[in-house]
Order: sequence, then C-alpha cells, then structure tokens
Amino acid sequence: MKNKYLYIILIAGVLSSCFKDKGNYVYTEHEEITVTGIAASYDKISLVDRITIDPVVTSNKPGAEFKYWWGLYETSVQGAVPKVDTLLRTKAIDYLVVQPAKGWVLVFGAKNIKTGYTKIVTSNINVITQFTRGWYVAKTEAGKTDLDLYLTPTSAIPASKMENVFSMVNGKKLDGKAHTLRFYHDYKALTGTSFLNTRALFVVTDQDASVVNIGTIKEIRDFNALFYNAPAVKKPDIVTNGSAAFYFINNGKLHSIYNMSANSGQFGVQQMVNEYNADYKLSKFFYSAGFYDPYFFDELSSSFYSAGGASLQLTSVNSSATSKMPAKNNNKRLLYMGFKTTSQTFAVFQDKTNQNLKILSTITPSVSAMVILNDTLAASEKLYSATMHTLFNGDENMMYFVVGNQVWSRNLSNRFEQLQYTVPVDETISFICHRKYTVASDLAFNYNYVAVASKKGDSYNIRMFTKTSGNLNPIPAFTITGKGEAGDVMYISPSVYGSTYPNTL
Amino acid sequence: MKNLKYILMATVLLLLYSCKEEYYLYNDIKRIQFGPDITRIYTPSYNLADTLKSYIFFYESAAKQQDTLFFDIYAIGGVSNTDRSFKLEQVAVPGAENAVAGKHYKAFNDASLTSKYVIKSGAVHAKVPVVMLRDATLKTTTVTLKFQIAQNENFSTGEPANVWRKAIFTDRLSQPPAWDNSATLYYFGKYSVVKHNFFIEKTGQKWDNDFILAIRPDYALLTYWRGMVKVALVNYNLQNPGNPLTDEFGEIVVIP
Repeated sequence: MKNKYLYIILIAGVLSSCFKDKGNYVYTEHEEITVTGIAASYDKISLVDRITIDPVVTSNKPGAEFKYWWGLYETSVQGAVPKVDTLLRTKAIDYLVVQPAKGWVLVFGAKNIKTGYTKIVTSNINVITQFTRGWYVAKTEAGKTDLDLYLTPTSAIPASKMENVFSMVNGKKLDGKAHTLRFYHDYKALTGTSFLNTRALFVVTDQDASVVNIGTIKEIRDFNALFYNAPAVKKPDIVTNGSAAFYFINNGKLHSIYNMSANSGQFGVQQMVNEYNADYKLSKFFYSAGFYDPYFFDELSSSFYSAGGASLQLTSVNSSATSKMPAKNNNKRLLYMGFKTTSQTFAVFQDKTNQNLKILSTITPSVSAMVILNDTLAASEKLYSATMHTLFNGDENMMYFVVGNQVWSRNLSNRFEQLQYTVPVDETISFICHRKYTVASDLAFNYNYVAVASKKGDSYNIRMFTKTSGNLNPIPAFTITGKGEAGDVMYISPSVYGSTYPNTL
Repeated sequence: MKNLKYILMATVLLLLYSCKEEYYLYNDIKRIQFGPDITRIYTPSYNLADTLKSYIFFYESAAKQQDTLFFDIYAIGGVSNTDRSFKLEQVAVPGAENAVAGKHYKAFNDASLTSKYVIKSGAVHAKVPVVMLRDATLKTTTVTLKFQIAQNENFSTGEPANVWRKAIFTDRLSQPPAWDNSATLYYFGKYSVVKHNFFIEKTGQKWDNDFILAIRPDYALLTYWRGMVKVALVNYNLQNPGNPLTDEFGEIVVIP
C-alpha cells in the first residue's frame, strides 16, 4: 500500500520533467529608453507637407547604441488588418506626406542593439487636403447641382471660397435640385483591393445622388453605382445612418447597407413593408439617433416603422398604452419630424380627413412601445402655418420654423412663440437648420449656429446666427453668399465623424 | 492492490512514452499525396481542402458532352530529373451510386490520360484531371467517383488522409455543397429543386457552388441576393392566390 505513494511521487516527477524551466533570474535594473521631440499629433497636407522630426533618444544604460525605424499605419480600418509601412531606418525623418486624407499613426522605434530593448513612440497624423476643412454648400443653378466650399483656415468663419468644386474635380454636375448633404467616416470605398472605411460626403438632389471622397472630392459612386441594382425611378429622398447601417430612401422606398461587416458600399434590394410586399412611401422626415435603428413614417398607411440594415422587411412599431395616438394607421400626414435628443423628439402632423387639424407631438421612440403625446395647434398659432422647421440638436427646448419670409421660434415647454428674424422682402427662405460643432481637440473651430438660407434672384445667402438662450442674436456671425439656390450646408473638418451632426432635417 | 501497482506502473510507462515526440519522416522513399491548391499549401487550415469537388452539367449547353475537374497532387521527397508517372484507382463507396468507368468518367488507365498522370521532371506538383462524361443516366442520377493513389514503381502513398479524393457529379439540378446547413438555416431555407429553379429563373444566376461561395463572404451582397429571391417569392405567391410555390416534396417554399 505504501508503494502507492511512491508511484504517485514517481508519476509527479516524470510529469514535471516534461516541463522546461523558463524562469527569469535576471535581477538587474530595467532599461529605460526616453524619446523626446515627437508631438502627440500633427496636421499635414497630403503631397504638400513633410514630417520633419529629429527626436532625442537616451537610455539609462551607459554606452547604449541605437538603431531606429519609422513606420506609418492608418486608423479607422474596417474590413482589413492595418499594416505598418516602414518609412525610414534613420533617427531623423524628413518625409513628404503622400497618404490620402484620413487619420494615420506615425510609429518611431529605437532599439538599443546592446541590450535588445526597444522603445516605441506613436503620434497621430491627420492627413488633410484643401477639401478637408470648410463649409460645404450644395447649391443648384439652372437645374444642376454643384458644391461650393468656403475655406476656414483659422476658425469656423470663412476666409475664402472655392466655387463648383464638385464639377471642377469630376467634370460634371448632378441633375436636379440639391436638398441634402451627409458625411460619414466609415463609408466603404475600394482602396487598393479592399473596401475600407472612407471619409465620404453624400450629395443628394431630387433627381440624382453622388458620394465623394472628402479628401479629393472625387466621386466614389454615382446614383446607379450606389445600388446593386439601381432603382428604375431616380428620386432620392434621404441618406442616413443608424446603429449598424446606412439607409437610402429613393422614391419613398428604403434600401440599406449593413455596415458592421465587409461590404462594397452598395445599397441592397428595396425592403418590403410587410410579408405581402404592400406598397408604401416613406416620408423624408424621420428620426435617427445614430446608435439604434432609425424610425420612418409611411405616408400611405400613416404608420411608423423602424428598419435593420440587414433586414429585408421594415420593422413594425407598436404603441405604448400611455400613447395618445397610435403609431400605426393614425390617419395623419407627417409635416415635420427631426432630431432633438437621443431619447425624445418632436413632430408636426396633419389629419388626413380633417386637414384643419394640426398637431405638435412629443415622441419617445421605441419599437415595442412608442409614446406619442399630442398638443393640438390652434390656427392662430404661428406654428400652424409653418412651411419649414428645425429642432435644436440637444440645445434649448425650442423649435424654429418658417412662415413666409419670417423665422419664428416656439418654446416647446410653454408654447411661447416669437419672431426671430425676417429676411428682406426680395429674398425667399430655402431652408433653416441648426448646426453645431463641439470638438475639444478642435476648439478654435467650434461653433453653434442657426443657418437661415435664402434665395435672392440667382444667388443664395446663408446667414449664420449665434443664439442666446434660444434666441437669435440680431446680426448673423457671418453670411455665406454664392450663385444659385442653396439646398444644404455642412461644416467639414478632420474631426467631423458620422455622428457629429443629426441626419434629420 | 496488485492491480493498482500494475496500473500505476503502466501509467508511468505511458507517460514516459508520451514525452517522446514522434515524427513520420518522408525521406525514406518517394511518396505522393493529394493536397490543397498550391497557393494554400502553407495554410494548415487548408490541409484537407478540396477532398470533394462537385459538378453539374445542367448549366452547360447540350453540346458539352464532357468536362474536367482538377485536383492537386504533390510528390514528397524531392524532385527528379525524369518524369514520374503515378497511378490512380477507383474506390467503391458503399451505399452511393458509384460512377462507372467509360460511362460516367474516362478510366484512369485511358490512353488519352496516362500522360496526364505524371509529375514532370524538376517538379513536385501536378494538376490531376478527372474527365467526366455526360451520360444520359446523369439526368436522373448523381454519381460518386472516389479514387485513391495506388502504389507504383515511382511512388508509395503519402499521408493516409490525403491519398484519396472524391468527385460528385450529375446532369440534373442539385444542391450545391455551399448550400450547406448554415446557408439553409440562415439564408435560403431548405433545399429543393423547385426552389433552386425559381432562384435561377428570377435572378438569371446559376446559384451553383461558385456563385454561392462568391456571395457568402460579402454579407451585404448575400443580403441583396437573398432579398431578390425573397421579394420574388412573395410576389409569386401574391400573383397565385391559394397556390403558393410548392416544392417536389409537397412543402410550401419558404425563404427565412
């Protein structure tokens, strides 16, 4: 019996003999290599600027001899593994930046060849071009759409202008009247042999659409190429994103790209509204908070729907028991819905039967239990007669709207309405919108404006107003003027991402 | 107690033995075995790729009376200054409709093929042609041709798992291997010839192995094609009230 323990010990000994002793018995002080002279980030213009750095490298080990290398890899890569390209094997670097406009990481390595110890230091390189910062205006002249770019070298206030940059680069204009600009940092475009995240601007008109690389303004895809199978009718309504997808509504029908897996940037088959493939027509007004699926409104059935990017069918939306109006078949026309916060928004409805009945609704979005609380508008209230609307993205609880050539505000908490601005009588208001940009790393360019765009003869004015406690300051901070009629305006910078601005009108 | 002692002793011996690593060296005699495409030979996950290839004459014109599948074969033990032939032989698969030499495929000893079953001088790799014949019986049957390497004067056989290959072919529409359990569950639903025909008719695509393998890695593209056939099926059923598309098993065609 005692032998049992002997055998057990023997087995343990045999087992342990199979393992190698990999212990570290070096008790000398760790080497510390210090690298100075490399900033945390640099902004560089592609094909113009150079990366010129001569870092100081020291070690606490006497007699250190270093060898060095510099590398560069791109960030925000999806669909491929980023590769570090070795640039140089010298201590100092003087390198002409040739990379396309987007985020890159510069890597510096210093290896003490006596000890084999290496120190790695990284720095963010924002590669920019003349197209990567400024105000873009989608404008229409004689039924054709182009882009004007207002350059902002030191702040959000423009210093100069480049007209018709879309046609200048692509040799063509878009058909139709401009109505939407949307920017996304993760639209997939062919780069080499892979489809990679690309900073891209959608330009949308009532007859055409194009997506361009913001670094070059070169067209990535035209309307037909944006779809696996282009719709027969060219009537773009909106482009938006959601938590996991891009969406394109054309002629009231929804197409999507599931963007959480590899894709080629092409929108898929038209989603069905139900299992019977009934007809539907989605409104151009919708709600999207970016981190969940958007909410759309079918004008034919007067019903809300949501939609997943990989789905083939819209998702039916149900009402909460506390909702004052059903989310389905509510017999209303949607006159406006925009983005207020990530948990609540507002809409203006008109009854289909009694067209004199108009309602301002507070909506808490939810697929399973949407809450719609209604406030009937009196004909005497200015909002009743509004033709254009906008909400403040996260700011004061106010809606701005247009009546004739006047811009009015309505306090959504107490119904107080107030005239904010009247455009000159020879101008017609084209659109209003709220744009704000609050990026800590780009403080000099931060702004918060209400844009009032108008048409005067053959030219446009876009007045950018700052506001105080929700009221417009009397004089605009600046006014953009150009040829044609403005359809949308958007500020672009290297720090603008797909989530910077609401997708809604 | 005695038993325990012997068990422990046996365990000790086993453990001692297990510490010794065993290698199967291929430097004794020349061997030959099948393998993956030459671009995949250093990718371990592809070691057993291409053991099975399928083919359907159905998509081809009536003029095409034979076609060829190619498999990759590798000589082990170095190159030679002379061409070295290798030998293949059919292996019957129990329970399967085995292909018949001269009827469904060209026999491996067919005079037109013997020069093809050769590792060229200075090479270690060759493409092995298997010539399938479009016999009329393939309209109603799917045949299996399993074949293996037979030892000859030039080569002994290599690793047992890689000495055989299988070809399955037919002249009727049949389930492509890529329409597998996963594709059935998540994308296309249960396979039926009726459904397959419907997909082909509505999209103009073959929906064969190559097509499905091409669209599967791109989820957006896969969703697009799935959407095309699903919408087409919904529309078909709407246009045929009370008479939905039904497959050869009597089941209503469904796409998940």
